[in-house]
Amino acid sequence: MAREIITLTVNGDTREILVSDRQTLLDVIRDQLSLTGTKRGCTTGACGVCTVNNAQGEAVLSCLTPALEWDGESIVTIEGLEQNGELDAIQTAFIEYGAVQCGFCTPGVIMSAKAVINAHPEPTEEQINAGMAGVLCRCTGHIKVKDALRNDHLIRARSET
Amino acid sequence: MLLPAHAYVRPGSLDDCLIALREAGDAGQIVAGGTDVIFNMRLKLFRPETVISVRKLRELQDIEPLPDGGVRIGAACRLHDLTEHPLLNGRWPAFTDAIRQLASRHVRNMGTLGGNICLKTRCWYTNNSAQWRAGRAGCFKTDGQLCHVIKSSDKCHAINNADTPVILIALGATLTIRKVGAERQLPIVDLYHDDGLHNLALDVDELVTHVTIPPVDDRTVYVKQAARKGIDFAIGSVAARCNGAGEWAGKVTLVLGSVSTAPIVLKEPAAIIESSGLTDEAIERACDAVRDELGEVTNLYSRAGYKKQVARVLVRRALQRLREM
Ligand SMILES: Cc1cc2nc3c(=O)[nH]c(=O)nc-3n(C[C@H](O)[C@H](O)[C@H](O)COP(=O)(O)OP(=O)(O)OC[C@H]3O[C@@H](n4cnc5c(N)ncnc54)[C@H](O)[C@@H]3O)c2cc1C
Ligand code: SF4
Repeated sequence: MAREIITLTVNGDTREILVSDRQTLLDVIRDQLSLTGTKRGCTTGACGVCTVNNAQGEAVLSCLTPALEWDGESIVTIEGLEQNGELDAIQTAFIEYGAVQCGFCTPGVIMSAKAVINAHPEPTEEQINAGMAGVLCRCTGHIKVKDALRNDHLIRARSET
Repeated sequence: MLLPAHAYVRPGSLDDCLIALREAGDAGQIVAGGTDVIFNMRLKLFRPETVISVRKLRELQDIEPLPDGGVRIGAACRLHDLTEHPLLNGRWPAFTDAIRQLASRHVRNMGTLGGNICLKTRCWYTNNSAQWRAGRAGCFKTDGQLCHVIKSSDKCHAINNADTPVILIALGATLTIRKVGAERQLPIVDLYHDDGLHNLALDVDELVTHVTIPPVDDRTVYVKQAARKGIDFAIGSVAARCNGAGEWAGKVTLVLGSVSTAPIVLKEPAAIIESSGLTDEAIERACDAVRDELGEVTNLYSRAGYKKQVARVLVRRALQRLREM
């Protein structure tokens, strides 16, 4: 097993991390950086709970990508959404619309939702469906999640005034 | 769970990559987006000694319009980026439509065109974990001497489950394949063998660098059936192409994917439409002729009988869509 130091920017902090070729990005986020908000689910790309955002603000599955591949890159995890003690509008929307039940999938669902908002601040039904199809919730269901996404811009507007 | 031990190589240039591939030989494994390679490494189906990453190779990223009206696409282009590309959407809409139907946005943000074209075959037995598989005898793919899917068979029947090969065959695409000191062009239809174990006509030291799609003015369409549209692999899919307008149709191509070890170019159904046009009656006859060309169907995600029925229905839908275009 070989180890290598990579430079990874996580939630705005640039760090040097010693990673092995046996680790995925998910392993590094959870086990090395102790950012356990990002969940380990199926580890085969089918459930989406390991979703984080890449430098372009897109949703990627941290379980399906070798950690070494992320040398020099930047990611945002669920812990990075809150700014100065204020929740992100999408997090507030999830609370207001009851889009959380047991909460296990929530970090992956929110990071997928954030990616939708990053690309489309006022997403259409089609854009929501396309962006959220890769992440599954087995208790709240997807209706309230979609309500939260549809209304994120209202909450954003409210917090800006 | 950590990945099986391996060496991870990130070559800085295409030439270095080709050398690394040659050095790694049989024990090497190309990885691009990783969405299938990492999956298979977790299932302990792939146990490479050396994993060679091509995702960031500069030489594999470009989308270049060609003077003849075609386009040359780098193998490491991300699937999502292709769906956003104005030229591709404008001139080959069935191609980008097929990609939009592939997996989920999450997977398309990571997966590459080359990875999809070179996807290894899958079946219900090998789609399970190593622990689950340990409860049954090994198969041809896992160092055993039988196939669980078609028990009487002496070869592997795992399915080519990829979406883009189906439409790229219909569009007449060509691959550029390189190894140290050599480059060749291969019509994409010739990449696929009817053998689940060795399904690609690629040597271990070869890399697909580009895909060239010629200019296509014909009507083209891609239809796919999956359990969940937003994420799942196909139960079956059909790419259809013809020229002409309305019911009049010439040069018909019909390609069927995800029912067999390789995409199937349907001959008789296409010939029927060429001689009789896209009438309701001819479309039904074409559908009737599909079954004879299916060969052995593997029951992945649904029973083989259902897949045969899906193949027939998809051919009908594709032909009806062509007529409306
Ligand atoms: C939840 C989920 C759903 C999926 N659904 C679909 C689906 O609906 N349709 C579908 O087609 N696929 C699907 N996939 C499979 C896979 O994600 C895609 O096929 C994807 O395009 C693979 O691309 P990649 O770059 O990630 O490939 P990788 O995993 O990096 O590689 C795949 C294979 O291609 C080889 N390879 C990669 N690049 C090259 C190259 N340049 N030259 C030669 N060989 C190369 C690799 O060695 C490997 O064998 C799904 C995967 C997941 C996890
Ligand atoms: S189809 Fe291939 S991989 Fe599946 S059980 Fe048969 S031999 Fe094994």
